[in-house]
This record gives sequence, C-alpha cells and structure tokens, in this order.
Amino acid sequence: MTESALDDIRILDLAGETGVYATKLLADLGADVIRIEPPDGDPLRNVGPFWHDEQAADRSLSFFNLNTNKRSITLDITKPEGRALFEKLAATADVVVESYEPGYLDSLGLGYAGLSAIRPDIILTSITGFGQTGPHARYKWSDLVGVAMSGMMTLAGEKEDQPNRVYGNQGYMCAGIDGAAGTMMALVHRDNTGEGQQVDVSMQETLSINMETAMVTYDMNQRVATRTGSKGVIPIDIPGIGIYDTKDGQIFAYLGTPGGAPWTVMLDWMNSEGLAEDLNNEPNISMIRGLNLRFLTGLVQEPDKLAERIQVLGHMHAVFTRFCASMSKWTLYEGAQNQRLMIGIVSTPEDLAKNPQLAHRAWYQDVPHDHLGATVRYPGPPYRLSATPWSLRRRPPLPGEHNTEMFSELGVSAADLQRLHAEGVV
Amino acid sequence: MTKLPLEGIKVADFSWFGAGPICAENLGRYGATVVRVESEAHVDGLRGVQPFATGKTGYNVSGFFNNYNAGKLDLTLNLNTELGTQLGRKLVEWCDIFITNHTNRMVDRWGLAYDELVKINPTIIAAYQPMQGLDGPHKDFFGFGAVLNAITGYNELSGYPNRPPMGLGTNYPDYVINPGHTLIAILAAMRYRKRTGKGQRIELAQLESSVAPLAPAVMDYMANGRVQTRAGNRLPHASPHGAFRCKDNTWQDAPEDRWIAFGIFDEAQWRGLVDAMGDPSWAADAKFASLDTRKQHEDSLEAHITEWTREHTAEELMVLLQSKGVPAGIVQNARDILNADAHLKARGYYQYLDHPETGRSAYDGAPFVLTKTPGTLRSPAPLLGQDNEYVCKEILGLTDEEIADALVEQALF
Repeated sequence: MTESALDDIRILDLAGETGVYATKLLADLGADVIRIEPPDGDPLRNVGPFWHDEQAADRSLSFFNLNTNKRSITLDITKPEGRALFEKLAATADVVVESYEPGYLDSLGLGYAGLSAIRPDIILTSITGFGQTGPHARYKWSDLVGVAMSGMMTLAGEKEDQPNRVYGNQGYMCAGIDGAAGTMMALVHRDNTGEGQQVDVSMQETLSINMETAMVTYDMNQRVATRTGSKGVIPIDIPGIGIYDTKDGQIFAYLGTPGGAPWTVMLDWMNSEGLAEDLNNEPNISMIRGLNLRFLTGLVQEPDKLAERIQVLGHMHAVFTRFCASMSKWTLYEGAQNQRLMIGIVSTPEDLAKNPQLAHRAWYQDVPHDHLGATVRYPGPPYRLSATPWSLRRRPPLPGEHNTEMFSELGVSAADLQRLHAEGVV
Repeated sequence: MTKLPLEGIKVADFSWFGAGPICAENLGRYGATVVRVESEAHVDGLRGVQPFATGKTGYNVSGFFNNYNAGKLDLTLNLNTELGTQLGRKLVEWCDIFITNHTNRMVDRWGLAYDELVKINPTIIAAYQPMQGLDGPHKDFFGFGAVLNAITGYNELSGYPNRPPMGLGTNYPDYVINPGHTLIAILAAMRYRKRTGKGQRIELAQLESSVAPLAPAVMDYMANGRVQTRAGNRLPHASPHGAFRCKDNTWQDAPEDRWIAFGIFDEAQWRGLVDAMGDPSWAADAKFASLDTRKQHEDSLEAHITEWTREHTAEELMVLLQSKGVPAGIVQNARDILNADAHLKARGYYQYLDHPETGRSAYDGAPFVLTKTPGTLRSPAPLLGQDNEYVCKEILGLTDEEIADALVEQALF
C-alpha cells in the first residue's frame, strides 16, 4: 500500500464555502475527513453546476469536487445531544476546520476553549472573511467582498467597466489553500511539541498579496495603481503583445520577453506562411530587429520619435493581427512555443479538457459514482508527491452516508440512532 | 519563548520571480533558515522591475523583489561555473528542503534534477515548479504568470463578455495558487519524513495547480458539455451582484473612481438593501420581487442601484450595508489597504521593516496566523549577495582561502 502524508490525521469538517477547499486538499493527501452536514441539508449541495443539470443534493459538481475522499455524517450541533456527540467526536479528532462567523462556535461551547478542554492538542482552523480579531471580524462577507476588500479587484478590467471579479470564487479558493497550509504548519508544530492551537485565516489577508506590485508601489512611490484594461500600461498597439483573435478563438502573446526568441523568429514563421506582407521592408524590418522590452520601455523617453514609431508599430500590429486571424489557436500556441516564442492559448474549458499536456500526464481522474450509475471526471492533483501521492480514493459522500459507522464508533446504539434521527439531531 | 514550527529546518531556495520565492519566504516566516541562491550572471528579473524606492536605483531597491524575499540569507552563486556548481551541491547537502521554479532545461543544466540531488542528500525534500510539468509534449513550454492566466482559463472566464479576455491585470497564479499549493505539499512531505525518515520529490506543474481551482468550469464541460465563458461580475444565483460606482474621490488633484461591492443571495439580504436605500418606490416593483425576476431585469436593477450609490461614499455604504446584514465591501485600492483599512492595521497584517537601501518598507504579512506560534519576517529582503561570506563560512564550512578562490573564479557572483 502506498503511504500517505496524513493517514494518521482525523479532521472534522464544519467548513462552509469559504473554507471547504482546505479540507478537500487535506483529504486528498490522505487525512480522514468527516464532513458534518446539518440534518436539513448542506447548503454546499445546492451550488451549481449540477451533473446533467439535474438540481439535487447528490448531483452538485461543485460539492463533488470539494468533498472528494470525505465521509459524511449529519448532525445538528445546535441541539444539546448533537453537541454532546460532536464533543465525543472531537475527542477523536486532530483538527477541526470551520468557517462560521467568529464567536459562533464559542456560543455553542465548541470554540477553541471548549474543544481544547476536550482534546488539549486539538488544532482549530478558522477560515473566515476577515479573521477572528479586529474591527471587521464580524462583518458579513462573500467571495466578492473578500476580493474587493483585498485590493486585487481594483486592478482588473477596463476603465469604463466595473472593476472585474475573478471567476470561480477565487477568494474562497485562496483562503482554502492558506487554510490547508496553516493547518499543516500547526500539525508540524504539534508533531514537534504536542501543542495544539487555533489557526486564524482571513480571506482578505490571503488575497491581498494578489495585488502584485500595487501595495509596494503605493508604499514606495505613493502612486495608486488602477485597472488599465486590455491595452496595459503602454496604451498603444504593440505587435505581438496582448490578445489576438485567431480562426477559432484567441491567444495571448508576449513576444520579445527576455529568455524567449526574438521577433525575427516570428517574422521567419510569417514568411514561411507567406503572410509577412511588407514586414521585410524598411522601416518595418529595422523596427523588428530592435523590438524588445528595453525598446518598448524606452519608447516614451524619445518623444520626438514617438509618433513615427507608433505608426510603424501600429502597422506591424495590423499585419500580425491578420496573421493570427488566419491560423488556429492551437497551431499558434504550440508552433510558437516550439520556437520559444511566448504565446499562450486563451483556453476555454473545452480546451482545458482537450489539453494534450494534461492528457499525456493523465491529469483528469475518472471516479465511479454508483448512485449515478456513471463515472464523473475530476480535475487532478495540484501537486505530485513521489512517496505520498495525492489520490482520489473515495467518491464524495451522500448526505449522512456514514452515520451508521461513525455513530457506532462513538457507541451510539442502533435504537438511539433511530431516535436521534426522529428528533432531528441526526 | 515558544519555538516556531520550522525552527532548525534548512531551506535551499534556488527559485526566482514569484511562485518559488513566496513559498520559501513563508517557510522562513515560520522559523526555517532560508538561503536564497542568486547570481549576477542570472539576476532574478524582479530585482529589475518597478517599483523602486523613490530616488534609488540598483538591484536592491525593487519593492516587487523585496516583498517576496524577506527573512532570507542571500548567496550569489554562478552555477555556470564548475566551482559554483560544487558550492551549490554543498548547499543541497546541507538543506532539508530544496525548491526551484527554474525551467526544466536550466534544472538539468545545473545538475539540480531530483535524481542528482538524492545522490548528495538521500532524505532531501525537493520541490519543483515547472510551468507545465517534468514530462509531456509541452514540458519545455515557457511563460510567466500572465501567459499562464491565459493557458489555464482565468482570462477566458474572468471579466466582461463584450471585452477581450484580458485577464486580471496581474500574474495571478504566482502569488497564492502556486506558492500556496507548494507549501502544503512541502509540509506534508515534512510530516512524512519525520515519521519515516524518507524524503521525496514534489512536482507542482503550474498548469495543473492553476487549473485545479477552476474545477466548476472544467467539470461543467466534462459532465454537461457546457463551455462556460466570462459573465462579468454577475452570478447565476445572486442578484444584484457586482461593484457599484460611488461618489468620486479626489486624489492628487484628480478625480478617482470609487466602488462598493456587494451581492444579494437571499430575500433577507434584499430587504436589508432596500432598507439601506431608504425604501425607494422602484424597489417595490414586481419585477424586483424575487431572485428570478431580478435576474431578468438586472440591467435596470443595476442602474437604479447606481443612482443611489453615486450619491454616497464607498466608506459610508459599506458601514450602512453591513449594519443591514448585507455582505458589502469597498473595492479597495493600495492606499486604502495600507493607510485607511483600520481592520488590517488592528490585526497588524502588513509588516514594516527597515531596509538598508529602501528605508522602512511594507511587506505582505502572514497568509495565516498561528495563534500560539505566529510567523514573522525576521529581516528585510537581502541585498544581492549580502550573506556570501556568512553562508560560505558558517553553512558551507569554507576557509577564508577557499572563499577568496571562489571570488577569483567568479563562482560567488
């Protein structure tokens, strides 16, 4: 049997959308993660998209992906008996992960003070919008609010539009990643010392570093970076930099970058396709030979030559635009990369599904779902560990699928379980 | 004083730009000794990228570089020389954790592939962050965050449908997605090593790590054949959902646009919003009565809301909406983040460090707070090669004479 990095760790998963990626990451590395769902249904199961577009508790693709390798029990921790059962379970657990409003678990007696009284070395990872302390700790949050307050949103989009949100609840994803990393760090500390602790993860803080140079630019130069849209910081047409339409989609080009082939290599390719038009003539050819980042950043330093240069660059851009429009995106992407020209395909989800590199590396994973009578295809590992690999061992659970085995482990008799079920505790 | 979790752990940081250095910085933040390996023959590109401390120039004053390298020792080692490679191998022998995000070609050329490293250090944990993986038809494809944004789907899926897929204005996966995933893997490998004494190789293909958080779009295609594309700030299950323009600010004598971001996911939040707006008559219209109808009339809904938000500051609206139970936040810019955000200040998120060339500068804080063993950056970003002598003597065990030779041979360069 392959060993795992976390097969000695049990995690109780109370996380909502904000933190649930963390428990998925830890489950996929081998931890025994028990998802605790409220008896009236886990709200995560209502989040689309759904398998075959059938909205049902056992068909949410979002839930599927975020709950691989987990077991599920249903338990109402707000009821006294439910709380008692949770405490029994906590005594067997190494980690609890949650994303309630700060103070909520304390109000049930299940905050860090309560849990560490039951299990002194427990790690409680709390993943919330703004963290456990500070004046905004009780502010309500959503993914959008985190992304906005972090500063990263102010950099995305066209000036005329609303600042752009990033697709796919990336606030929750980043908070989940840092929540998993923080949990691992606390586990390493516990391995060393036997000491547990609370890990405090603020979505706003995890996201802030995504604003790239904006923070340090203000700190050093008192300049406030803002969104510059598709043209970027140099608002002129530059051949081979930016988004280009192709026959069947788009590419993103960044020619002339250090480490890559020079523009003349692109010109050779255009020549071989018979699509270079007049780029081999002056003044275009001289411009092409000198076209690199240093030239571009120096453009503004010679204002007397700027107008003429913009005209030549604009013409080259137009020729390059026509070249791209005559090719397919995959030909441009793979053809350019094989010559060390920096072009990336603007992948659609379909392109991602058909990506030959991901296929070669068998990245996608097919997981049988007996209740659907079908196999569901999942994204694969974010990382590959040679000795303790990421793996999908178990499909995501149905609601309360593991009630019987978990509660019998806690010494609850079948009759009691039936009664708890009838009383809405389980 | 409590020991930090990684005290005594030794890290050889052979990375550059964002994804590698940020991961190594976080190992140092939690107690590890990190030696950052650089070379003047192959300078980290970020040392040459703005912003620079006002009025300063040179390799040591880039805020971009400095922000990802605080707390590290800095060793310049020219791996293109024989002696430089030898010294690099000594560092590999010393370390517990090795990390690089150099291309596969450079890793091979410098003899830093895992098979080579385990010969020197059998229990090493070696983390590689190739752009597309260590094997496969695209293994030598190159790029950086902005290109990766396109290849991995962030560009196609983010922004407005009537705009080109321009992306997020940043090299997004470089900052959390790739360094964060790598950190998890390294810490997992450390636990395994502690239990078994065995090291291992970690391979984080930046392509794979960056597509993983886009699962809903990928799975929607796989299961349903639907090809999602960008839809602006709107969501299928919330309405309104977006950023709404507020009263302009004046900053450096120019108007500055200001925005409040919020989304309405249920009827209680909708009532909170209507209440905050002062119960305007338009909001009572049947076409805004439910999520479904609001979705149908979203253009009109957003126009009405903007008439209201335009009359108020983003700060006022955040406080008001929060008081009504609506999750709302200012679309903060860097000045807000550093100067105005009282919450981040109270939590002490940003760490200010005195740097010999830039002066006192701000650094991003810990991505997570361990309440009993909080991480900290123990020193500002290093000057290029500032610890050559210390590392050579104390870590690599070189004599003064050997150090002099290494200098002459331009190995410490």
